[in-house]
Amino acid sequence: MTTAVRARYVEHVMGMPISLALRGRHTDDARAKDAWAEAMAVLREVDRVFSTYRDDSFVSRLGRGELSVHDCPPEVAEVLELGERARRESDGAFDVRRGGVLDPSGVVKGWAVERAAGPLRVLPETDVCLSAGGDLVCHVSGPDSPEWRIGIENPHDPTALLATVPVRNGAVATSGLAHRPGHVVDARTGRVPDLVASVTVVHADLTWADIDATAAFALGGESARWLATRPGRTGLVVWADGRTELVG
Amino acid sequence: MRRIVLWLLSTVSAVVLLFGYHTSTAGPAATAQAPVGASLATTSTTTTSGGTDPGTDSSSGSGASSSATPAASTLTGDVAQTRWGPVQVQITTDGSGTITDVEVLQYPSGNSVDDQINAYALPQLVQATLDAQSANIDMVSGATVTSEGYLQSLQSALDQATT
Repeated sequence: MTTAVRARYVEHVMGMPISLALRGRHTDDARAKDAWAEAMAVLREVDRVFSTYRDDSFVSRLGRGELSVHDCPPEVAEVLELGERARRESDGAFDVRRGGVLDPSGVVKGWAVERAAGPLRVLPETDVCLSAGGDLVCHVSGPDSPEWRIGIENPHDPTALLATVPVRNGAVATSGLAHRPGHVVDARTGRVPDLVASVTVVHADLTWADIDATAAFALGGESARWLATRPGRTGLVVWADGRTELVG
Repeated sequence: MRRIVLWLLSTVSAVVLLFGYHTSTAGPAATAQAPVGASLATTSTTTTSGGTDPGTDSSSGSGASSSATPAASTLTGDVAQTRWGPVQVQITTDGSGTITDVEVLQYPSGNSVDDQINAYALPQLVQATLDAQSANIDMVSGATVTSEGYLQSLQSALDQATT
């Protein structure tokens, strides 16, 4: 499909911008707008259940011990299971529980966007690129659709790009401190990684692209080596001294 | 990707075992990882210098001459369906059964059959001074942009660009 038509949408939820690009048959008609509304509804529901910024979310109440997992929607157990798997596979650098505090945000974001992309992916003859604060899902409708071209931001200069990656069906996630210093720590030490500036992971689905980007970032100096052991991932590690290292 | 390569090599080793070649690299673990259906095609041809054209059927009558070491042969495996997509390998052995060359004819990504998933494409480094517009970019991946920081971001510029 050749696709000159394109529409972009932006809304804010979970404290971050959600950007959508559509090209193809349904870009700004009622069907496209309905799918976009549905995607946003998915994210708002996820926020209601998982937000650690809302005292009344299921996860906040679970963290305070007011609820058990069985009292929560089944998605909570699913996310906690992902978090446990990520902890094991990262040797503990990634952990949704730190110092007695439950914070599954590192799992929820990619997982949620992957779900939110569902209603958009089924738009016939339409290509979709959905980004939540820099972590994104790409989908094309057919073998002739052009790839989505994704730019990877320079963590030392967020107004510049360091790399590009073409993606047709897949996901790209980046973890770093450029916009939110100190929000990722190595769960084993509680320290903010200082050897690595950002880690970008390209993978088939955003759930694991996002988890791995965060886990690799938390692993600091071991990030590139660890990422190379992960099946089906490619990536870019930008070190604190400005060097770049492609993985894959 | 490294794991895929290791896996491919172990598959090759296992395939070689099936045909009774001796190799020091194939262990039980390698055998266990061989996918169902990773059997070698029974057609093998004598090659001259391992320069078999990977794009053509190795059994086609290209008149490969016998100027090479007598028992050297090139074996082309069947296409194996893996969790990453189809894989096909070709090995070249010398007269003693030692593998002298391994060529991957078909990778899980980048082939025309299954280009629906190409999440495994490598990022390509670009000049650091490029901005999103001049790089012809659709979307930007970066460290988490908050709603507060969004207006200064490259993504914001892209979202406002009307096409």
